[in-house]
Amino acid sequence: MSKGTVVKHDTELGAFDTQHMRINVGPQHPSTHGVLRLVVDLDGERIVSLRPHVGYLHTGFEKTMENRTYQQGVTYSNRMDYVNGFAHDLAYILGVEKLIGARVPERAQRVRVILTELNRIASHLVFFGTTLLDMGALTPFFYTMREREVLQDIFESVSGVRMNYGYYRAGGLYRDVPEGFEEHVRGFLDSFPRYIDQYKTLWMENDILLARTKGVAVLTREQAIDLCLTGPSARASGVELDYRKGQPYSGYDDYDFHVPVYTEGDIWARLAVRMDEMVESAYIVRQALDRLEPGPIIDPDRRISLPPRRELENSMEAVIFHFKLVTEGFHPPRGEVYVPTESARGELGYYIVSDGGSMPYRVKVRAPSLANLQSLEPSSKGGLFADMVINIASFDPVLGDVDK
Amino acid sequence: MSALLERLAELGGVQHEFKGMTSVTVPKRAVLDALRAARADGLEMLTDIHGMDYLTYPGHTGKRFAVIYNVHDVAGRRRLFIRVDLDDGETLPTATGLWSGASFLERETFDMMGVVFDGHPDLRKLLTPEDLEGHPHRKDFPLGETPTLFGDGRFLDPASFRAGLSGRDQGLTGWKGGARDGVVASQTPKAPGTAQRPEKSGS
Repeated sequence: MSKGTVVKHDTELGAFDTQHMRINVGPQHPSTHGVLRLVVDLDGERIVSLRPHVGYLHTGFEKTMENRTYQQGVTYSNRMDYVNGFAHDLAYILGVEKLIGARVPERAQRVRVILTELNRIASHLVFFGTTLLDMGALTPFFYTMREREVLQDIFESVSGVRMNYGYYRAGGLYRDVPEGFEEHVRGFLDSFPRYIDQYKTLWMENDILLARTKGVAVLTREQAIDLCLTGPSARASGVELDYRKGQPYSGYDDYDFHVPVYTEGDIWARLAVRMDEMVESAYIVRQALDRLEPGPIIDPDRRISLPPRRELENSMEAVIFHFKLVTEGFHPPRGEVYVPTESARGELGYYIVSDGGSMPYRVKVRAPSLANLQSLEPSSKGGLFADMVINIASFDPVLGDVDK
Repeated sequence: MSALLERLAELGGVQHEFKGMTSVTVPKRAVLDALRAARADGLEMLTDIHGMDYLTYPGHTGKRFAVIYNVHDVAGRRRLFIRVDLDDGETLPTATGLWSGASFLERETFDMMGVVFDGHPDLRKLLTPEDLEGHPHRKDFPLGETPTLFGDGRFLDPASFRAGLSGRDQGLTGWKGGARDGVVASQTPKAPGTAQRPEKSGS
């Protein structure tokens, strides 16, 4: 299928005309990281234009959440970004908590930070595995999956599932972390620096990787701001935006960490930012673990959280509250809230509108992957088609996050 | 920030505060000027554009739709919501001239709410299939659920059942959880929302 502009060439071998070739990539292809379709116009091997077509995974989560109670919303939030579910849960729950004015206990805050940061590491590990796979390196995928497996076990021990966690509740957590959680996480943290060193030697200093990523698909700081790019990809272009520093939530201002920023804006910088972020995340987790004290894990306010199981056996009032919370849920006051958070992909926030009922009047997800996908064309233009495949991966889109 | 808010007030903006979030409702003709003023004041990044449909919002009297622009500074410390109220059929000028990243955000708003952005270079649907009619996030878009059938021909209509739970209706018991504003505790309970099954037609 070819269609497009006629280009005239006048060479020493004679004059001839060529046409741009339009090819279709996806929607079902491993290198598009989900069901993403791209229509690419090529001049030889160089990209003239690139148009993403999205929406194949559109599930209508926002509309569904408008017809479920606030508490049921956690079931849907993590299904959007299935690689980084805790971040979506946290963003949604923070919005709800701002509406109802819940007071989250310190232990719950610490556990949230630990899990969200571990999930960021897990998400970046998937990023490295798949990006290098697109570059033709098969082994890194097994290395990163090996480390991610340990994290998945931690998430499973905490929430009961390996995906779609739904562990956070308005006001705290669903239940306390299991016995042995701290040792489990410490075990991971102790082994992780060695793996990071391995990754850095094996990949980041690898000649082939450097040749394929240095100076390729460059996005300047001005372009990144113009394209509404956020997250690690923006920080690779010198935009120092990180909401954990800018508008700290869940007690992130308590922890000592720095935000890696690179100014190169090429694919290598987008890889390097995420590599450094994993180190910082592990450091945050260690601090949070050190300060993890025993205590309550949910706001004791009976209007928003379920009474403890033992009270149901001897308190009629507890049974009533339990029944009401399960059947109807709580009723936040009227208002519109938005809490920006930093997911592994960029700015993530839920714009929640309450009309005083027990279900949100409107939920709008500001999903980072959708806005980030727009940077694909400006950075790929003029580059080689083979580089475009790595370039898609370097923005780390999760198509569930794009399509909602 | 205060200089910017003064400038927006000059443009006809009305300021609201809620839980530390500042939003300014500006007239439709001033929306691009307001965005330019915000950008000149250091709110350089556009995070989101999204629509609101207040069709069934209790007590809402103004125009039916609103479009909300979410702008913030590069450090992520200051944020402003610029709102425009719209009636059905009213259009907005595109912001793609200010941020090229507004393209997808406006397409999504067009797709979900049906707000048309004049001058957008490529205003097509973004997420829903091309042959889907209507705009799913409008409040009058049907959900397409099936009523649940019980014995004796009774059935539970999902929409009216949920309306009972959502506070737009008194619900099964009238209990409002205590945290809701403007609700008197002693509302009379109401019977569950059951209804007779409609007669089959044409048989």
